[in-house]
Amino acid sequence: MNVGLEHYLTVSAMLFCLGLLGVILRRNVLVIYMSLELMLNAANLALVAFSRFNDNLTGQTMVFFIITVAAAEVAVGLALIVALYRKRQSAHVEDLTSLKL
Amino acid sequence: MSLLSAIFLLPLLAALVVLCIPRNYKFVIRLISLGATFAAMLLALALFARYDAAPVENGFKFVERHAWVSVSALKLDIGWHLGVDGINLGLIVMGAIVAFAAACVSREIKRLEKEYYTLLLVMTGGILGAFASLNLFFFYFFHELALVPTFIMIGVWGHGENRNYATFKITIYLSLGALLALAGLIALYLQSGANTFDLVELTKKVKSRPLPLAAQSFIFPLLLFGFGILVSLWPFHTWAPLGYGSAPTATAMLHAGVLKKFGLYGLLRVGIPLMPDGAGAWLEILALLCLGNIVYCGLVAMRQKDLNLLIGNSSVAHMGFIFLGIASLNLVGVTGAVVVMVAHGFLAALTFGLSGALREKTGTLELEKLGGLLRQIPFLGAALVMAMLAGCGLPGFANFVGEAMVLFGSWRVFPLVTTIAAWGALIIGAVYMLRAIRNILHGPGKPEWAELQDASAWVKVPFVLLLGALLLLGIWPRLLIDKIQPSVVPIIAMAEAKSADKAVRPSDLKKGAEDAKQRAVRPR
Amino acid sequence: MSALLVLLLPLLAAAGIALVWKKDEEFSAQLSIGAIALGFVLSLGLFAFTPAKPQEFAFNWLAVGDLKISFGFLLDPLSKLMLLVVTGVGLMIHIYSRGYLHGDRSFSRYFASLSLFTFSMLGIVLANNLFMMFVFWELVGVSSYLLIGFWFEKHSAADAAKKAFLTNRVGDFGFILGILLTWLALGSLNFTELASALDGKALPFASLVEPLNRLVGSTNWWTVHPNVLATLVGLLLFMGAMGKSAQFPLHVWLPDAMEGPTPVSALIHAATMVAAGVFMLCRIFFLLEIPGSHALEFIAWTGGVTALLAALMALQQNDIKRILAYSTLSQLGYMVMAVGLHAPGPAMFHLTTHAAFKALLFLGAGSVILACHHEQNIWKMGGLHDAMPRTWWTFRWGTLALCGVWPFAGFFSKDAILASALEHKNIPLFVLGVFVAGLTTFYMSRLVLVAFCGNARSEAASHAHESPGVMTWPLVALALPTLLAGAIGIDAFIAKALPSEHPSPNEGLLNNLFAPFNHNILAAGFGLLAVVAGWQLARTLYTNAMSDPLPEKIGVFAKMARDRFYFDELYAWLIRVTQETLARLADWVDRWIIAGFVVRGTHGTTELVGRVLRLVQTGSLQTYAFLFAAGVVLVLAWQLLGTSPTH
Repeated sequence: MNVGLEHYLTVSAMLFCLGLLGVILRRNVLVIYMSLELMLNAANLALVAFSRFNDNLTGQTMVFFIITVAAAEVAVGLALIVALYRKRQSAHVEDLTSLKL
Repeated sequence: MSLLSAIFLLPLLAALVVLCIPRNYKFVIRLISLGATFAAMLLALALFARYDAAPVENGFKFVERHAWVSVSALKLDIGWHLGVDGINLGLIVMGAIVAFAAACVSREIKRLEKEYYTLLLVMTGGILGAFASLNLFFFYFFHELALVPTFIMIGVWGHGENRNYATFKITIYLSLGALLALAGLIALYLQSGANTFDLVELTKKVKSRPLPLAAQSFIFPLLLFGFGILVSLWPFHTWAPLGYGSAPTATAMLHAGVLKKFGLYGLLRVGIPLMPDGAGAWLEILALLCLGNIVYCGLVAMRQKDLNLLIGNSSVAHMGFIFLGIASLNLVGVTGAVVVMVAHGFLAALTFGLSGALREKTGTLELEKLGGLLRQIPFLGAALVMAMLAGCGLPGFANFVGEAMVLFGSWRVFPLVTTIAAWGALIIGAVYMLRAIRNILHGPGKPEWAELQDASAWVKVPFVLLLGALLLLGIWPRLLIDKIQPSVVPIIAMAEAKSADKAVRPSDLKKGAEDAKQRAVRPR
Repeated sequence: MSALLVLLLPLLAAAGIALVWKKDEEFSAQLSIGAIALGFVLSLGLFAFTPAKPQEFAFNWLAVGDLKISFGFLLDPLSKLMLLVVTGVGLMIHIYSRGYLHGDRSFSRYFASLSLFTFSMLGIVLANNLFMMFVFWELVGVSSYLLIGFWFEKHSAADAAKKAFLTNRVGDFGFILGILLTWLALGSLNFTELASALDGKALPFASLVEPLNRLVGSTNWWTVHPNVLATLVGLLLFMGAMGKSAQFPLHVWLPDAMEGPTPVSALIHAATMVAAGVFMLCRIFFLLEIPGSHALEFIAWTGGVTALLAALMALQQNDIKRILAYSTLSQLGYMVMAVGLHAPGPAMFHLTTHAAFKALLFLGAGSVILACHHEQNIWKMGGLHDAMPRTWWTFRWGTLALCGVWPFAGFFSKDAILASALEHKNIPLFVLGVFVAGLTTFYMSRLVLVAFCGNARSEAASHAHESPGVMTWPLVALALPTLLAGAIGIDAFIAKALPSEHPSPNEGLLNNLFAPFNHNILAAGFGLLAVVAGWQLARTLYTNAMSDPLPEKIGVFAKMARDRFYFDELYAWLIRVTQETLARLADWVDRWIIAGFVVRGTHGTTELVGRVLRLVQTGSLQTYAFLFAAGVVLVLAWQLLGTSPTH
């Protein structure tokens, strides 16, 4: 079987949907966070695939950026979650509705 | 840094310096603010002295040009372009003098001085920068830079229980006006096809290829009402008396005196010359609306019980004369309108400054509570009398010269409107101004004010300065008019390029006279 | 150049007092008096030694496009005479003021205002164009405001000042419109240029007809006629004079202006302010007599009605200054009537003589008021002729001149006016003039008989004593022209400047004395007859009277005259129903419709929408994420599905 662009994109889309469902449905902030990473990597996969099949390195460059930024983001995000947990003794989104008026 | 840019960059620089000073050094902060505005005033006076009316290319002097952002792919070209001609020269000088006077009267501020003076200096720099800019981007940017501090100052340091409502109202009104004007300016940028915000380039482009009629007829109303709201054109005026009534003295002086003129200046500089046909359709309506300012707001002023609301309304009424002068669209009328702009700047600053000084002394501005103060405070009282008389168009003060010229100019075009405007100027103006004098200064002295002290020498400085300016320009108007006139000529020429059939011109009169003579000679 | 000096000296004095020497009261007074004294000497020099040919010099004050306004002077016999009157009478009043205002808290302010007033008045006299005249016109208005309201702590004085200024402003409104119309039609504001522009033109305002018709949209049944315009210009300019010279119906401010210090009343009433209106009419007479214009007829009748009404009002006044105020109104009516009768020469003549004797009368009244400890009611005076001999004989001379008794100055000038009424065959106005002359004699005799003769009716009057020399010598100095001004040939001098139908040559003092009888015996005879009748009637009624017998005899009419025919009440009502109502309405609309309904309505709607939209904000992050994702899917679906069929 010849693996084409469609296969990569399908996998990427499935990963993205899984991640999105995780973000929307899960209650634990940590899990939501992991789901977010999943979505990012879905995008990365699609970009790399496009890059490979279009003979253009721009997509891969973009992926490097995303990975770097995501690493920084993970650091900041985890720190926030830890800080939040310390303050609220909870990592569940139901408890984090103080934005609501 | 050239002379022109120094005038408005100096206050902005001083604002940065003030930000770096610890808040306890109140004296230093005040000193720096006074020094910066004073230096700006001296520079502006030097600019005025060095300006001569000899014609130059494009009409602008002291030009300063730098490239800033230029992206050809996006067709974006924003450059730093400054320059003065007769029209903004007077406004810059007036603005600088008023700014110094405003810094002087800011002594009344007793809390958060550091923030206050920072905002005051930013506002000063913004106002003067807006008038000096010939690039529409910076023209608008500097205006916003001055406008935002206005809102904050009214909200934080304002007076009275209506302060919050006034802040909301003035913010929403003026933001809306600025937004409409911005939409108009952007539309102008897109429609002109010149792909530049540079006013001189735009003018050149429009001269060679006028804007399409359809574009003119939707851009001009945007600018007219956008700028109109900024200048409290009737019926978009209700923010003004309330806002000024609640504002701290210096803010009211700077806004009513100087910043408000931005809209008029924009109308004169951008709206009318670039869109003569769009303007032609609206000028008669503008002339009618300005009656709303002159007569209606004058009548409203007659009923006010608070001095600040009274002079706020009278300030709105005076705007009517400027609109009328612009609407008349002839040399005499427009020159007169520019003179009123400058004169009213001094006058508004003077009246708001005096009312601020009065409030500081008595704690109230309610006409009912005051009375018989002339004996206690002869200097402030005399200055207030002079300001009020200048406000009702007394010869000897600059306002009279401007208003008379406006009447002479508009009389040819709108005789009926001019007649009613003259009634507003001579009678309605006098009624409320004299009523204020009668209630505040005349009458028997009241026991509660028996201990009142007159202003000390330092307090007198800004008032003497402003009165002096009003008197000087009133007695020797050519000082200003000879500089304004050559710059108005090209604007009129551009405006008349299309709409050449509206006004009664002397050439028509001569022709009419000959026709009539023939008619008279002809046997019946 | 000395004309410029005459003009600027009082201004410098005013500025000097206000800015520098405010504290030094004595020096302030000297400065002010010195300025006008020097001005008087210079005016005498101008009067005597400069040629009669009009001289003009001007600075370019303002020039924009075709609007050219110069700050210029016109020195012709008319302005020279007027300079002399203003500085001469003004000087006496300045000197007198030093005594009258002695010890006042605002002595320096008084003299500063007085000098400012003199400056403004001299500006009107010297102006060579309508705009400059308007500038000084306004300045006279404001300096009168300062002087009438000098004792601003009194409610009545503050109100009177305001009323004077506002009433004058109504007149100025017409004046400025007249100026605008003149400029539009004739393209100039300069008197000499205007006169030559009008010279020999049949329909000078015809040029305006066509453009005006275009502006107002003429129809077949309605067009502007040039004669209407000519009349309109005349009437609008006359409106300015109506305000300043207090002609009916703008006469109401003048009696109230008595609230100022008495020397101020003298200045306003005799030589300055009110004279300005008549002077202006004489200056622009060529604009009024344009062929086809009916302005002069209106002016004549306005003058006549003012003269009559004021004389009737004067009959029942009890305040010595108010009686004089109404007599001023009445005499001004004469002058305006003369202008209306194509006789500006006699009008100026009467203005000159009136300046002298009315200043004398007011200053005399001031002397009496001071002697009686600020008592102004004539029924609380009496028997003053013994106590105040010098005031008494000068006041009597002034009265004789005002009544028009030969050979006092007033006789000659009033006779000239009556004669011109006869020459114009205007019998109704002649009869009116003679009748008013009789009334004048009657009320002035009443004043003299009640205040000076008989016995003292109050404590204050019985202890009255003569005023100090600084006050009485000006009276003596003014008594001289009061006697002589009629016969020394002033009318002949005026004739050089103004077109007069009967240029009366100056034939020496003795011939001049009898000229009126040779010239028009009818006018002189009727005038003197009226004086005799008025005197006889007053003598029978008021000799040794303790109270006024007139109200019993003429009943309700006396009350109406005393209440000034209810003009003040009428105007107060008119202002209330028009301007006040409009102001109330505008304020209401502003408060409730524009600021309330429209602005608050917009604000309310916005807030309501905000409240509804707030429900969407649950605060749950996941809801937002879900909505966001759903939105993306929707947009994608719309994009992809919507566009695919077109491929």
